[in-house]
Amino acid sequence: MAKAPVAKSMPPPASTKSNAFLYVLIATGVSFAIIPTIVVLSVALLPTGVAFLVERGKGWHCGVTVGSLNLAGAAPYLTDLWIHNHTVDGAIDVITNVWAYMVIYSAAGFGWAIYSTMPALLGSFMAMGAGRRIAALRDQQKELVQKWGPEVESVYEPEKKDKANSGLSNASLA
Amino acid sequence: MAEAATDLKEAPARPSAAEAPQAAPPPAAPPPPATAPPRMAGQAAPGSFIIVRDRYTLYCDKPIPSLDMPNAQAFEVTDRKQEGRPLYALICKPEMLPRVSVMRALKGHEMAHMLPMVDWGIAEWPPIDRKCAIVIYHRPLGGRLMESMAGGGKRIPDHLFPKTIIKPLADALIELGLKGITHRAIRPDNLYYMDEARTNIVLGDCVTCVPANDQPVVLEPIESGMCVPSARGSGTFADDMYALGATLLILAIGRNALQNVPDAEIIRRKIKDGSYGTLVSDERVPVSLIECFRGLLTDDMEQRWKPENIELWLAGKRLTPVQARAEPQSQRAFKFADMEFHSIRPLSYAMYLNWDKAIGVITDGSLEIWIRRGLELGDLADAIASSIKNSRAFGGQQKDQDDITLSRVLMILDPRAPVRMRDFRVALEGFGGSLAVATLAKQQLQPYTDFINRELWRHWITAQTKYHADNAQWETVFKDLRNYLKDTNSGAGIERCVYELTEWMPCLSPLIVDQYVMEVKGVLPALEVASKTVNTKLWPVDRHVAAFMRARYAKGVSTQIYAMNDPRPERATIVMLSVLAIVQWRLGPETLFGLASWVGGLMGTVINAYQSRPKRKEIEREMPKLIRKGNLAEIYNFLDNPEERQRDAEGFAWAKAEYAAAEKQAFDLEHGQIDRQESAIKSGQKSGAIAAVVIMLLTYTGFLVSNLF
Repeated sequence: MAKAPVAKSMPPPASTKSNAFLYVLIATGVSFAIIPTIVVLSVALLPTGVAFLVERGKGWHCGVTVGSLNLAGAAPYLTDLWIHNHTVDGAIDVITNVWAYMVIYSAAGFGWAIYSTMPALLGSFMAMGAGRRIAALRDQQKELVQKWGPEVESVYEPEKKDKANSGLSNASLA
Repeated sequence: MAEAATDLKEAPARPSAAEAPQAAPPPAAPPPPATAPPRMAGQAAPGSFIIVRDRYTLYCDKPIPSLDMPNAQAFEVTDRKQEGRPLYALICKPEMLPRVSVMRALKGHEMAHMLPMVDWGIAEWPPIDRKCAIVIYHRPLGGRLMESMAGGGKRIPDHLFPKTIIKPLADALIELGLKGITHRAIRPDNLYYMDEARTNIVLGDCVTCVPANDQPVVLEPIESGMCVPSARGSGTFADDMYALGATLLILAIGRNALQNVPDAEIIRRKIKDGSYGTLVSDERVPVSLIECFRGLLTDDMEQRWKPENIELWLAGKRLTPVQARAEPQSQRAFKFADMEFHSIRPLSYAMYLNWDKAIGVITDGSLEIWIRRGLELGDLADAIASSIKNSRAFGGQQKDQDDITLSRVLMILDPRAPVRMRDFRVALEGFGGSLAVATLAKQQLQPYTDFINRELWRHWITAQTKYHADNAQWETVFKDLRNYLKDTNSGAGIERCVYELTEWMPCLSPLIVDQYVMEVKGVLPALEVASKTVNTKLWPVDRHVAAFMRARYAKGVSTQIYAMNDPRPERATIVMLSVLAIVQWRLGPETLFGLASWVGGLMGTVINAYQSRPKRKEIEREMPKLIRKGNLAEIYNFLDNPEERQRDAEGFAWAKAEYAAAEKQAFDLEHGQIDRQESAIKSGQKSGAIAAVVIMLLTYTGFLVSNLF
């Protein structure tokens, strides 16, 4: 059976406009469908918004950390909403629940705490590792000196050396 | 007997009168003169003796002053194999160089009318606690022909003189001539009667000093007499004939007519009046002997009688009278030093005697004018002018320039005379012997180095009017010496000159000078002995030992000795060990425990040249074992193992690189605090975000699952 010839001409612009309309239509439909969720999140994610605002220009890590735990804090209420009563009333019940606020905002606070303490904690670990490595290197050097004598020693001074070299070259140029 | 083993023991019981040898006892020795120097037997323990070659017993406490030589002292000797054989030994003074090559030629040879040399060698001489050259002779039972140069002894009747004196001595010189040896010690007090009846005359010792050193000026030809005694050289047979003539003349007269005349005056008179006239003086000479004396004492060496002439004369043949060649005479006298001169040679000698005044007549041109106009010797005057000009061309102090100028002018005026520079007067041939004696006696060597460096030898050769094949050879020798002097390294310098010029010069290193080492083979055993007493922080191969080895054993160790001057101490030390190891390996002895220990103690720098501390400790552990073997080659091979050296160098380079890398790493870690904090912040924030996302996902998953199921 012979195949039908494929049209080589570009699709008309009217088709593109119809697709966009379709997307907007779907998005509007979905928005109407998840209004309860949006209502809950708009109140629950206030700390996340604050985090993005406070740390703006310094990267996205703060917002992501706080936001993730903020969302995690909202998880019991949202999942309950989605599965049992995904209505605006259900959403209002959630946002009017003081305990819900406590849980959601505490989780966000925990996220903030992680964001604040993690670098210091890691820094301490890294410093400890460097100290151990320096001690190991000094031991290795000591062994080399014991075996080969002080003649094996050398001093590493990159900045001074560079300066000296540049001074020498300047002098020679002059 | 060279390097003979010796024993110092208590004196054996002397044979009793009944057991005494049948030979007649030696004549009673006259007491030594009151002014005699302290004898070498002075410190001998009573009854001490040495045994050489397991045969000859030398009694240290039994000197024989009547047979002493100026540079050797006589002691009693007995022969264990031939009891009663009359012998005596001459112990050479350590500060004098004996004629070893002549000893080797004369030893054991029975030569007509020569004092028979039984043996010679080097042996420990207890009275001075060092080794000395010892010569053993048959003892002349008839004593000396003349007790001293001053006279003494019985005068021989004129009619017996040719047969009993001249003939035997001429025969002795013929025999020496056949062996190519000049005696150079023919003098009245060095002639002996071998038999008690005093009929067999012999020439005495000629080996206990450098040639002609002990000869009085009166017995030497003019040129030889001008030299300092040690610098007369072996000379020629003509010199022996002259000494024979002078000796015979003194014997015939019965005394030395010039006994109290100063040497300079004797030479002046010989130049002025001729040797025969000077020696005869106002004495009566037997008419029958005049022709012989004139022939032997001719100042012209070419016309001087030879032993064959004496034989012809003894056979009664009349020879052509010797005519002295007339020197150019000037009508106009040249005034110098309150004297008037008409010919060149007397003036030359007077100029030498009045050194400081002589420079004036050279610089003011009066000498040149007198030679040009008075003597009409234009070529000679030109040569003097040229010599003055050339001497002035060289820099230096005025006094030195004047000395050189005068010395060169004297060479031109009297080419036959030795090189003269103030008190320094040497014949080219005698330079080596004189340098050796000066070195042995620890005299100032500056005149000798000046002689070489200022090329006085070349000027003397150039000044000669007659061609001598030997001079070309001397020129080569002195060029080499000049190069040695220029080289200040160990194995060169004046020490090398001494050993190169004198074949049998003992090594003068302070470490082994007492061991009287004349051959390279003897150096290590001598150092082995020295290792027990010397400061072992000193190198066993000092400048003298190095120069001695280079001169005597150039093919074996020359390269190594040159390398001893390496500026790196560890390299120089190991090369020094290699020099000793090579000599031991090639010449022995097999074991040298003392020297091995000595050298082992000096190897600190070599061991420290290894960078690896464990390797150093390993070497230090092994060294005592190797030292106990006494083999220097093994020590050298152990210390200078190229593979080990390479491994050590590579290991050290690797260790340096590793240290540097560790240093850089540590530096980076120590100086990277800020970077690390920044990194920690970034990493912490990132990991916090990831952890938060993970927690969120897990939370939703958990709640969804629990709500659904």
